[in-house]
This record gives sequence, C-alpha cells and structure tokens, in this order.
Amino acid sequence: MIEVRNLTKRYGDTTAVDGLSFTVHPGLVTGFLGPNGAGKSTTMRMILGLDRPTEGEALVNGKRYQDLDHPLRHVGVLLDPSAVHHGRKALDHLRWLAASNGISGKRAVELLEQVGLGGVRHKRIKTLSLGMKQRLGVAAALLGDPHVLMFDEPVNGLDPEGVRWIRDLMRGLAKEGRTVFVSSHLMSEMALTADHVVIVARGQLVQETPMEALTRNGSLEDAYLDLTSGRGL
Amino acid sequence: MKNALAAEWLKLRTVRAPWGLVATIGLMVAAGALLSWLIVQDYDTSPAAEQAKFASADSSVVITPVVQFLVAALGALVATSDPRLTALAAVPDRKRLLAAKTALVATTAVVLGAAALAFSIGTSVLIMGDRPPPIAPWDGLGDVLPWAGAAVLSILVTGLVGLGIGLAVRSTAVTIVVVGVLLWGLPAITPMLPDPWNMDASAVMVPYLVWEVAGIVDDAPLGPPAAAGTLIVYVLVTLGTGTVTLLRRDA
Repeated sequence: MIEVRNLTKRYGDTTAVDGLSFTVHPGLVTGFLGPNGAGKSTTMRMILGLDRPTEGEALVNGKRYQDLDHPLRHVGVLLDPSAVHHGRKALDHLRWLAASNGISGKRAVELLEQVGLGGVRHKRIKTLSLGMKQRLGVAAALLGDPHVLMFDEPVNGLDPEGVRWIRDLMRGLAKEGRTVFVSSHLMSEMALTADHVVIVARGQLVQETPMEALTRNGSLEDAYLDLTSGRGL
Repeated sequence: MKNALAAEWLKLRTVRAPWGLVATIGLMVAAGALLSWLIVQDYDTSPAAEQAKFASADSSVVITPVVQFLVAALGALVATSDPRLTALAAVPDRKRLLAAKTALVATTAVVLGAAALAFSIGTSVLIMGDRPPPIAPWDGLGDVLPWAGAAVLSILVTGLVGLGIGLAVRSTAVTIVVVGVLLWGLPAITPMLPDPWNMDASAVMVPYLVWEVAGIVDDAPLGPPAAAGTLIVYVLVTLGTGTVTLLRRDA
C-alpha cells in the first residue's frame, strides 16, 4: 500500500505538488493521471525519497521508502528507462541492482528471459532499442519480487505487442494482490489497464475514484478532459 | 553496507572507463621503466664529471603525479557515472551509499597506488643496479619507504578528492578539470606569486606535499605531520562538500 499524506513540494515560488493526499491499495492497478507539469513525476520521486517533500509524507507499507530494509524487495520502480549507464551490459545492470539489495544474481538471468531480453543479456544497453530498454526497466522493477510496483509511463517506446505484454503484466501483478501504481498519458491504455484512478492537476488532487465510476457516462478521455480542462499549465 | 559495497564494486568493474584508467596506469609505469633504462644508458656513456650532475633515474617520481590524476578520475567516475536516480532507488540510505563509494575508492586507490609504486621503484632499482648517487637516489629500504608511503597516501587523497568533487558537481568532465587545476594548474602558478607567498602557497600544493610528507626535502616549510594534515584537509573540504550535496540535494 502507498499512502500519500498532504504531500507538498515547492521550488522557490513554484509549487509543484500542493497538499496531495491519496492511497494506492493492493490488488488494484491504480492509474495516476494528469496534464504535463501536474506533479506526477515529482510525487513519484518523493514517494521514493529521491526528492524531499517540503511538507507531508509518503509511506510505502507504513514506512518511508528510505527507511525500508532492502527497498527493491518491497518496491519495484520504473521511473526513467534511460537512467542507466549505457555502457554497461544488460545483465550486469540487473546484477548490480540485485547485489545492492542482497538478491541472487540468478534472478537477474531469469528475469531477462521473462521479459524477452535473454538473447541480448550480454549486449551493452546503448545498443538496445527504446522498447528493449523499457523491458529492461520492467525487469529491474521485478527483481526483488516486490509487493508494490511503480511505473512511470511504462508503455513509452513499446510496440503493440509490448503494450499488451505490459498491460497483461500489470493486470497479473494486481491479481496476485500486489499494489500497482502507474502514470500514463495514454487514456485509452489506462482505460484498459487501471481499476482505480488518481487525477491531479497543478499539483492538486482533482479526483480519486474507481475507473468504473469515472467511465459510467462516457470514455475515460472525456471524463479526464472534463475534470482537467483549464487546470493545465 | 556489505550489499552497497558489492554493488559499487560491480558497477565499477562492469564498465570500460575504469579499466581504461587502470591500463593507462600500467602503460605509464612501463613508460617510466623505459625512461629509467634510457637515463641509465645515457649515464653509463657519460664522463664522470657529467655523471655527477645526473638526476635520479627512479621512475616513481615521474609517474606518481600521473597516477594521482588517473586515480582522481576514477574517484570522479565512481561519483558521477551512474544516474543518481537509479543509484538512490537501489540504495536510498544516502549515508550508506556514500560510505560504500568512499570505501571502494579508498581501497582501489591504495591498491593501484601501492602496485604502481612497487613496480616502478622495483624496476628502477633493478635498472640502476649498484650505481652510486645521484642517479640512485635511495641508500636503502629505509630511505625508500617514507617516499613510497607518502606517494601512496597522496594517491589515496587524490582519489577521495575526485570522489568528493564528483559528488558535489555531479559531472565527470567538470570534476576532471577541477582536479587538473588542483594537481597541475595551481602548483604551476604559486611559484610566481610574490615572496613569501610563493613559498607558503607552494608548500600546500599536492605535488610538493608528497615530498614534505616523506620528509626528504631540506628546509621544507612543512614537516611530515603538518604536510600529512594538509593532505587530509584536502579530503575533508572536498569530500565534506560532496557529502553535504549528496545528503541534502534532491536526486
């Protein structure tokens, strides 16, 4: 479970996230939606302790991320697939991540096979396509077999087969009782994937609701645009 | 801490750049041995009056500044080469991450420094044979050890300085430029300062501190303890700044 309580982030005079509170429950895929600059990535970074909140707190399973022992065993993260050393081989990338959290190196080999990258495990990351890098990021997120997963725009760069693969993966992870929190700009994709949605604009919560309630009278895109119109940057 | 250190070691040895630096250190040591051999050949064919004017043929004196720079670059790579987002998602305890990086750089610097010094002094001794001073600068092991110890200490210090600056500025290129200024730029400028600032400033430059720590410079402004303390100040200032940056700044 992810609990965000009165989370606020200010950069000088600019407020990126403004008193945001919501809960991401296990057993569901929770979509995190909002216009560009709405504070989605900043919120995710604060949940992971990468950025410090000006006010409020974000807890994962009742603890701050930075206080978790072996955090990758609790939380799987895909924020930016390009945030890797491009000169390192795919397998070595997963091996150091595994070592950092006391996870067996064998798990890295298994996961590369699982995400369809077994054949390129000895290739340097710079030679992989964007879609392959995205799959590598997903493998890194699954490394510690975590109960909480956070994906930021996970279908970017994926072909239709890859999009379906990640959708099925996220649905499957939620079905296993895991907490899946995913941000995306693709409303059609979110409509197919998410059970619950958190919509933000200008750093503030606009709506937190089951997908079913939001799409009862129309498409997710229509509902989203109605809720966020005039609230963009 | 054990896991963080294992991860840092894996990170370091699974990219090419650190191996390039190690290979360059090996090449420089080999070039130093060749230089020693050429000096000795020249010495042997020179008249006695000329032989008395020869400088030392010990290549460790020549290669130490180069190893200092290359190990500082290694420290910079440990600080900057992996995106901070991924590193902190894996090890969010920033103090633990810093401790692992510091331990890795310190160990690697001492191992590389000691190996480079041992090889260059060893080959120099073999090449110089039983030739007398000044071409053979050392009277015995007791004479060599303070110099070798001071040189390895300076290599350790420059590695940690590279790490500290890297953590502070978060750019490999900028770190290497700053290290170059510290190791070679400033020491080239300080002798041009007016008297007595030239002596005072030169005395606290890294290249000169190595000799002062070894205690083998007549009338050195700083004795070995003060010189070693000054080297430690370099580490405290740079690694301290890097620590504050890592602990306080957003990733």
